[in-house]
Amino acid sequence: MTTESLTTEPALKGRVARSVLAGIGAFVAVGVYVLVSSIGLGLWTTLGPGPGLFPFAMGVLLVAMSAVWLVQELRNPSETTEGVDRGLVLAVVVSLAVLAGVLDLIGFQLSMFLFLMYHLKVRGRRGWPSSLIIALAGSVGAFYAFNYGLNVTLPTAGIPLLNSIGL
Amino acid sequence: MPRIRIAAAAVAAAALFALTACGSNAGAANSAGDAFPKKGKSIELIVSFSSGGAVDTAARLVQPILEKELGTNVEVVNKPGAGGQIGYTQLTSAKPDGYTIGATGSPSVVVSPLDPARGAKYTRTSFQPLGRQVIDPAVIAVQPDSPYKTLKELLDAAKAKPKSMTASTTGLQTGEHFALAQIQEKTGAEFAPVHFSEGASQATTAFLGKHVDILVANVSDVTELSKQGKARVLGVMTTERAPSLPDVPTFKESGYDVEAGTVRGYSAPAGLPDAVAKKLEAALKKAIEDPTVVKKMEDLGLQTSYLSGADYAQFWAGQEEDFKKVLPLVQKKD
Amino acid sequence: MDTLNELIGGFAAAMTWQNLVFAFLGCLLGTIIGVLPGIGPVAGVALLIPLTMNLDATGAIIMLCAIFYGTAYGGTITSVLLNTPGEAASAITTIDGYAMTKIGKAGAALTIAAVGSFVGGTIATLGLVAAAKPLGEMGLMVGPPEFFALMVVGISLLVALAGKSMVKALISGALGLLISMVGIDPVAGAPRFTFGSDNLLDGVSFVAVIVGVFGLSEILSYRKDSAASIVHAPGLRSLLPNRTEWRRSAPSMARGTGIGFGLGLIPGMTGSVSSLLAYVAEKKFSKHRNELGHGAIEGVAGPETANNAHANAALIPLFTLGIPASPTIAVLMGAFLQQGLTPGPTLFTEHSEMAWAIIASLFIGNLLLLLLNVPLVGLWTSILRVPASILTAMILLFMVIGAYTINFNVFDVFVMIAFGLLGLALRHLDIPLAPMVLTLVLGPLMERSLRESLEISQGDFGIFLNRPISMVLIGVGVLIVLSPLLKLRKPKALNEDPET
Repeated sequence: MTTESLTTEPALKGRVARSVLAGIGAFVAVGVYVLVSSIGLGLWTTLGPGPGLFPFAMGVLLVAMSAVWLVQELRNPSETTEGVDRGLVLAVVVSLAVLAGVLDLIGFQLSMFLFLMYHLKVRGRRGWPSSLIIALAGSVGAFYAFNYGLNVTLPTAGIPLLNSIGL
Repeated sequence: MPRIRIAAAAVAAAALFALTACGSNAGAANSAGDAFPKKGKSIELIVSFSSGGAVDTAARLVQPILEKELGTNVEVVNKPGAGGQIGYTQLTSAKPDGYTIGATGSPSVVVSPLDPARGAKYTRTSFQPLGRQVIDPAVIAVQPDSPYKTLKELLDAAKAKPKSMTASTTGLQTGEHFALAQIQEKTGAEFAPVHFSEGASQATTAFLGKHVDILVANVSDVTELSKQGKARVLGVMTTERAPSLPDVPTFKESGYDVEAGTVRGYSAPAGLPDAVAKKLEAALKKAIEDPTVVKKMEDLGLQTSYLSGADYAQFWAGQEEDFKKVLPLVQKKD
Repeated sequence: MDTLNELIGGFAAAMTWQNLVFAFLGCLLGTIIGVLPGIGPVAGVALLIPLTMNLDATGAIIMLCAIFYGTAYGGTITSVLLNTPGEAASAITTIDGYAMTKIGKAGAALTIAAVGSFVGGTIATLGLVAAAKPLGEMGLMVGPPEFFALMVVGISLLVALAGKSMVKALISGALGLLISMVGIDPVAGAPRFTFGSDNLLDGVSFVAVIVGVFGLSEILSYRKDSAASIVHAPGLRSLLPNRTEWRRSAPSMARGTGIGFGLGLIPGMTGSVSSLLAYVAEKKFSKHRNELGHGAIEGVAGPETANNAHANAALIPLFTLGIPASPTIAVLMGAFLQQGLTPGPTLFTEHSEMAWAIIASLFIGNLLLLLLNVPLVGLWTSILRVPASILTAMILLFMVIGAYTINFNVFDVFVMIAFGLLGLALRHLDIPLAPMVLTLVLGPLMERSLRESLEISQGDFGIFLNRPISMVLIGVGVLIVLSPLLKLRKPKALNEDPET
């Protein structure tokens, strides 16, 4: 087979990338957890498959495929894709998590305003006027449009003091 | 009529109070719960079965009157699965602020928390019953080309060859499942149940496609089918014949002492503020007893039988006692 | 001929200029609302129902249909432009739709989506006119075993999504199925993999998963230096598809119509199954299958045609059997009931004029959608001219509102974040995302129908082979799986697809 010889490029021979190993490890862990807990759910009942049958099969598949993948990697490590921009991932994920965390506490308007200001002014380095206008439109404007125009209720502040001033 | 008058007075008082509360301090109004429902805030009505079944249809008929009475949008949301358990879980875990209510049907809502195998997160006290709407007796029907013309023929055949015929239910431990269990207990006729856990429309579809032999359903599910000649209804599991199926004998007439059916109403998660509960109850009463709704329900084969929230709660508790006794019949044997 | 006369009568009843104005308004409002996050077709229709209250029955139902088409198309707009699907049925469109946006072809994608929707919807409605009764009965032939067999065919198409490595595709597929298992077991009621969290009892929200895995993970994988991160606003010339794109779309639309129409007839099948399978079919059978995933027009034309064909075909069971096949159709059924009409075969005998007027209005609604949206494509795509930093902030805002409003619960926002990270990890490991979505949608349907089938057969697996339809379908599934099975052993050899 010609394809076979073409694909084994000597330049790539080397160690398996750490991220790949971590991924395989995580999949095996999930698979084993699923296997154990699906047995507890019951694989078979008097009438056909029980609640655990499908998860069990998936657990087997996950573990087996991870093993095959590991073998493939050991024989022929794949080139790692370009790394991610950690700063960006951290900024977006943390800001989203904080937003979600305080949404019910300080309400949609305030939290979304701060969130948008962070992304526009701090990360996007936009000028004050445009940042303020867009952030206000996206927070207060969206809140009123959704609540009153569309009957979709966005969260208000859980803190009474903030709630009483309309946030 | 004193009850109505009291309810009306209460509503009026609540409304008045709400108005003044709004005027004086708009911010504090929502904590008191009297300003319910806030204008523009939708109320979600959770139906725990898929669209097209009797529960869903009844909810959609009640919905416009509720909207008129409450002055806000009411949205019917289907959350089918696990014979109602998924929707009931969602209903009872919602905030008890009146913006989430749900259609509740027994036995499914009564029984699901009783069986520990189901791991239900709610009990009877997690619900605040708001009003009962209908009692829908169970029926048993066969394919129009079936050799069995009477209930006796069918049951005798099932007795002679147990589990030779499949019969639909709307899920484990739902009304239909109980009906089958009771038939087996009282007459010895055994069918193989097939659980369509999303509701009556799935069960009916499978019956129409002849994938199951016997349709165990409610009067409302078969009224239209029987008119079109797509199902031959052999028996109604109640003491009196159903008005929409005048030619179908009851089980009692045929000599079997079996009574079964589903009872449906509306409930909210427990812990509703009194004023909100009163308002919802009054609106539901208006909607359920509305003559056009009653008429449309009749056309579908449903007999309106209203009970107030408190009476419905009492009825519910009574049902729980009854079903505790027969529960072992439908519990899964591993 | 009789049918034709009645249909013409229906058009006459539906085409009062007043009704047309309402239909136009409904379509426009529907599109705008569909573009907003958190409001899919069901909520959109429910929201606008009050507008129809004061109209006569025909007018009300015409407007409702128009709203429905509008909201569905609105969801496609955000899928293509912002990579955030408004609803499940257009989730798969994000893959190639957004890839097209990145290479400056957003206009072509949106136009093709509108044309595809029109084609799929119109042909499905023609089917309703021509042969509603036999088609409705055909749908009934699909019982639980056949349903299961169909799902097997669907899952077997996973091999087409494999890309470079079958192993990785299977891992992705297994993950999707496991995610779909979270929540209360839909048959027996036992909670599965909920980790004691009440929020997980209802399962993981599909939309939150999709928005996270496709939308958020895309934002997270942006890199300053990479060209792929930049979105190009289309020039005026590229607003419309060019001739090659038209030519390439035609077979995809044909396949999409077939898949959507066929599946739409089956009660219990959802529109997202149709659009997904249409996408997968493109991946397997299209001439340009290698380009799919990188901005191929087929990846938009197929699923968008399929989901509208499905939506219209789903009216057939409603009209002939009185069974609403989807939540949206249920809303429509609610409107029928309130107008005093009982959906079902009696509709044609007792209210025949009305029934034909509704059918005529389906044609009108489809046409209006096309006439309204193609000229507006330019307007929608102008969103892309907004500077990147603002666009990213806007997309994040859309995602948060979209996720929050699924259940009005912050939990779904966290779900979206978690799946954004998972999506990023999978991209990094070069694991394809599409198989996960496929099993996420098909898994629960497959499990339910398997368990129902085995209850019917009382535990005998032979039921799948004893029945002709399911036997044929299972055979097809096996054939699809067997063809590329050899590839499991040499993943690298797949880079060059044998197709030339």
